[in-house]
Amino acid sequence: MTSTVEQAPDLGTAPQAAMAPVRRERRTLGSYLFMPVFLALVCAGLYLYMSNQELDSIEQRSLNASKIGESIWEHVQLAAISTIFVILIAIPLGVVMTRPFTRSFRGILLTFANIGQAVPTIGLLALLAVAFLFIGFTAAIVGLVAYAVLPVLRNTIVGLGQVDENILEAGRGMGISKMGVLTRIELPLSVPIILAGVRTALVINVGTATLATYINAGGLGDIIVAGLSTNRINIQLTGALLTAVLALFIDYLAGIAEDVLRPKGL
Amino acid sequence: MAITRKMRTAAAMSAALALLVSGCGGDDSGGGGGGGGGDEASLEGAELTVGAKEFTESKVLAQIAAQALENAGATVDDSSLSGSATVREALEAGEIDMYWEYTGTGWVNILGNTTEDVPDDLFAAVAEADAENEIAWLEPAPMNDTYAIAVQSAFAEDNDLTTMSDAAAYIQENPDEATICAASEFLNRDDGLPGLETTYEIKFSEVVELDLGLVYTQVGDTCNFGEVFSTDGRIIANELTVLEDDLEFFVPYNAALTMRQETLEEFPAIEEIMGPISEALTNEEITALNAAVDVDGETEQDVATQWLEDNGFLE
Repeated sequence: MTSTVEQAPDLGTAPQAAMAPVRRERRTLGSYLFMPVFLALVCAGLYLYMSNQELDSIEQRSLNASKIGESIWEHVQLAAISTIFVILIAIPLGVVMTRPFTRSFRGILLTFANIGQAVPTIGLLALLAVAFLFIGFTAAIVGLVAYAVLPVLRNTIVGLGQVDENILEAGRGMGISKMGVLTRIELPLSVPIILAGVRTALVINVGTATLATYINAGGLGDIIVAGLSTNRINIQLTGALLTAVLALFIDYLAGIAEDVLRPKGL
Repeated sequence: MAITRKMRTAAAMSAALALLVSGCGGDDSGGGGGGGGGDEASLEGAELTVGAKEFTESKVLAQIAAQALENAGATVDDSSLSGSATVREALEAGEIDMYWEYTGTGWVNILGNTTEDVPDDLFAAVAEADAENEIAWLEPAPMNDTYAIAVQSAFAEDNDLTTMSDAAAYIQENPDEATICAASEFLNRDDGLPGLETTYEIKFSEVVELDLGLVYTQVGDTCNFGEVFSTDGRIIANELTVLEDDLEFFVPYNAALTMRQETLEEFPAIEEIMGPISEALTNEEITALNAAVDVDGETEQDVATQWLEDNGFLE
């Protein structure tokens, strides 16, 4: 009650406060710590629960430190390497597609990227395996990259597109070369949007990499599918929870990367 | 038995299935119902739903049951579901009235046992234990859709392989050639690869984990050995030879029609009708039916109708 009364006289000054440039607050230590602590608690809870269960021989085969560790490591590799390729393909492609000389075939390229995401990954993996007898880690990377290119490509195009034309004009007026305008003005100004796309791609890849198990590429999908195919809820629970924890943790790391890589003043 | 076997054309197939079955129903209620009379068991007025797991054999078996029951006067609906667990849940929940289950699947996946304590008379044990869940198992068919190890037929000839013991000897001599393609379930079950390696005292040098559907095409390419199901039509299509399990390691997976106890009590005629049909379903018969669907591209209902007619189960 008192606070509303106190606020009343301030009403006149409020619009002025809103006029001040919106400064993105650096996150507090508490908010940095929340997610890892939360995820650690989930893992600890899972561990405690599972170590109090009597596991039969089928469950023991999946729920042991070496199998789980190996699956997580394979999963991280699948997600990380596919995302690296996504970045290497999508960002340069996005840059090229926003240059005037590509106007004529821009639509076709974007259609291909759209197809990549429209085709379900499992379908693409099956196609590679059945039609080309192409299986394993490399095939899984191809499937994941095709699926996750679109968000990064789209965000690169949008990010570059939203840069104020007047700023570019000013840059050129100062005698900066085309390449200089791109690398010193356009790209830095679109970093936050591009990074948001990369973060989306990462999370997509962590989730989709569970399908790699069907073509001998390992990952946490091994554990989930082992649980599903043998009707063991403990295995399913472990695989699914670890995948979720991994996705949230990688998203958390990507969030920090966003904070760090965002150019000062944006 | 394939619990995770994937039919990517499932949607299209079940649509075709529904159409054809409703077609069959129309024909039968006119002719078959009248001619059936006499001492034939009748299911006049019964409305039944036959479920199936999402793979060819389960669908063919479901079609055989559905058409036989329709022939006896019942109105039959069919529904295709994915995976053992979902079909079983649908049965318990009353969404379907019956489906073909395998004795091995019942013992391990439904009743939660491991395969280390498989009784000699598996069917009797499963039927007895499942009676507590109010689920009745009709007499099982002789067909045994169990795990098997297959190799390319040419590879089998070249190396003179006919039994698993032959394969064990071959692996002993050529450890580097002991590569096996298999699906997750086979790799994780006690009655799958782990037990097989112990029984035959072998160790595969490389395990390639694949979706089951991919195993059949990869044998002879990525790997020399492959996990298959002993009655699968794709064995014929991919020119594979099944190695005989001479030490009888693999758990028997005889197919039997399962239904809720109350359904069987309401329509005891089902047992009479299905008895002789089940008895006629041998490994040769079902493998040929599976191949007719998977290799020759016929529909499950056509294959089922033809088989029922050929064996005199349809009037």
